[in-house]
Amino acid sequence: MSLFIERMFNGLADGSIYALLALALVVIFRSTGQLNFAQGEIGMVGAYVVSTLTLSGWPVWMSILAAMAVGFILSAFVERVVVRPIEHRNPGAVIVALIGAFLALNQAAAMIWGVDVRGLASPFPTESDDFVRIFGAPIRIERLGIIGVLAVLVFLLYLLFNRTKVGLAMRAVANNQDSSNLVGIRVGSILLIGWGLAGAIGVLAAAMLAPSAGLSTALMLGPFLLASVAAVLGGLDSPLGAVVGGLLIGVVKAVLVGYVSFVGSESLFPVMLLVLLAVLLIRPNGLFGSATVERV
Amino acid sequence: MSDTSPNPEPSPPASPAPDREQLLSVSDLRAGYGPVQVLNGLDFTVGSGEIVAILGANGAGKTTTMRALSGMIPRTGTISFEGRAQARLRPDVILRSGIAQVPQGRGTFSDLTVEDNLRCGAYTAGATMNEDIDRWLTTYPRLGERRDQKAGSLSGGEQQMLAIARAMMSRPKLLLCDEPSLGLAPLITKAMFATLAELRTEQGMAILLVEQNAGLSLELADRAYVLETGNIVASGTGDELLASDTVREAYLGVG
Repeated sequence: MSLFIERMFNGLADGSIYALLALALVVIFRSTGQLNFAQGEIGMVGAYVVSTLTLSGWPVWMSILAAMAVGFILSAFVERVVVRPIEHRNPGAVIVALIGAFLALNQAAAMIWGVDVRGLASPFPTESDDFVRIFGAPIRIERLGIIGVLAVLVFLLYLLFNRTKVGLAMRAVANNQDSSNLVGIRVGSILLIGWGLAGAIGVLAAAMLAPSAGLSTALMLGPFLLASVAAVLGGLDSPLGAVVGGLLIGVVKAVLVGYVSFVGSESLFPVMLLVLLAVLLIRPNGLFGSATVERV
Repeated sequence: MSDTSPNPEPSPPASPAPDREQLLSVSDLRAGYGPVQVLNGLDFTVGSGEIVAILGANGAGKTTTMRALSGMIPRTGTISFEGRAQARLRPDVILRSGIAQVPQGRGTFSDLTVEDNLRCGAYTAGATMNEDIDRWLTTYPRLGERRDQKAGSLSGGEQQMLAIARAMMSRPKLLLCDEPSLGLAPLITKAMFATLAELRTEQGMAILLVEQNAGLSLELADRAYVLETGNIVASGTGDELLASDTVREAYLGVG
């Protein structure tokens, strides 16, 4: 029982990281209809920025905030330089361009920081006795902290989207760009902010993951795939779906790897894709995706 | 943020311009999409508190005219609004100057609630927002009842009212209406035209309307222009156009 609870919390913590990344994907998908293949790599670059800053003596949380700002700018740059010039000429080519951005960021990181795996300081206490007992199971504070970070971020995003003018504009642009223009919203600026926001969230996810996973240029490859599955599972345009999808994937992964002997870390992805296929066969719009209701 | 004065009446220009009494004065307006020119040099005017209709068949260039006036597409020529040149301005700047558009097909934000749609309408107006939301939800009680519903769930007529209210949230001096009757049942269309007439009588709103529904438009409008493949081919008061056999038969289909 104790082991089960421990695995559940580990699954939820992993799932929180997928949920963060999936949220970033959804923020971009809602506004531009693109799956941002470079999302994970922007996070990975941000994690290296955290590493560089903490090594030069910055406090960990401050390094993470600064790296999130870098992620914001980097992601906004990708939108302005890679996505926007191509988009109205050939929307299909944007996917290829984003895969190009993915490769470029990955290679650039390898050139700047090398390919060896390095450690990254955690913002949470990680000594061997830093755990709390929940129903007798020892749960590491770091794991709880990651779940808490997701909760705080979801709350802040809720406030942003529902209580601020920029959030209203972001929802309007996601819904109808032409009408947004007509009511005086500067659509280009709002798209830029959306991409920037997603970049910052991606860095947060990477900074939560790297202390336990080890920081390398391959840090985000697996998590990005799982987060994509989570986002599609949740419906791609639903922030709630991204969170539920991410947590679900984390828990399912923990259960599979923990209890099903033939599912190791290698066979995890095929199994996840089968789960995804099954869900999409039953609910083509994902768990929370909007089946558009519109009367004319 | 807001340059909208609480008083929606336009102030007269300081120096006497040649078209001083005109709110909007357009000359040689040309616009199109990419290499295709749709408007071949239009000249028309809208006076303060005047309702002007532009009539024409599908493909005549009605929507292109509206999008050019709102700054949504590249255009050349002169667009003078309250004596200021507008032909090179961005959509948000044109909106702030006092021209709001009700787009074709209503263009409501279907995933947003009725109230959030109105908030978006006040995006450039800020300070007057809450007061105006209450006002329009009272003016159109059907919208008031559906304040927290998504706009996509409203009927076509309700969405058209919402689109008009949303445009009014920016406190415009000129309202552009792009085929407001499109897809509406005749009775609903009548009610909607009555709403436009009220906007003028109660608030002195100037309205530029493009329509295929010539009969109703000419009843409502003080003056009208007939647009055919990017050229204005006739103009006059509603009565004049209704009386002209050529116009009736060739362009209006009400013979």
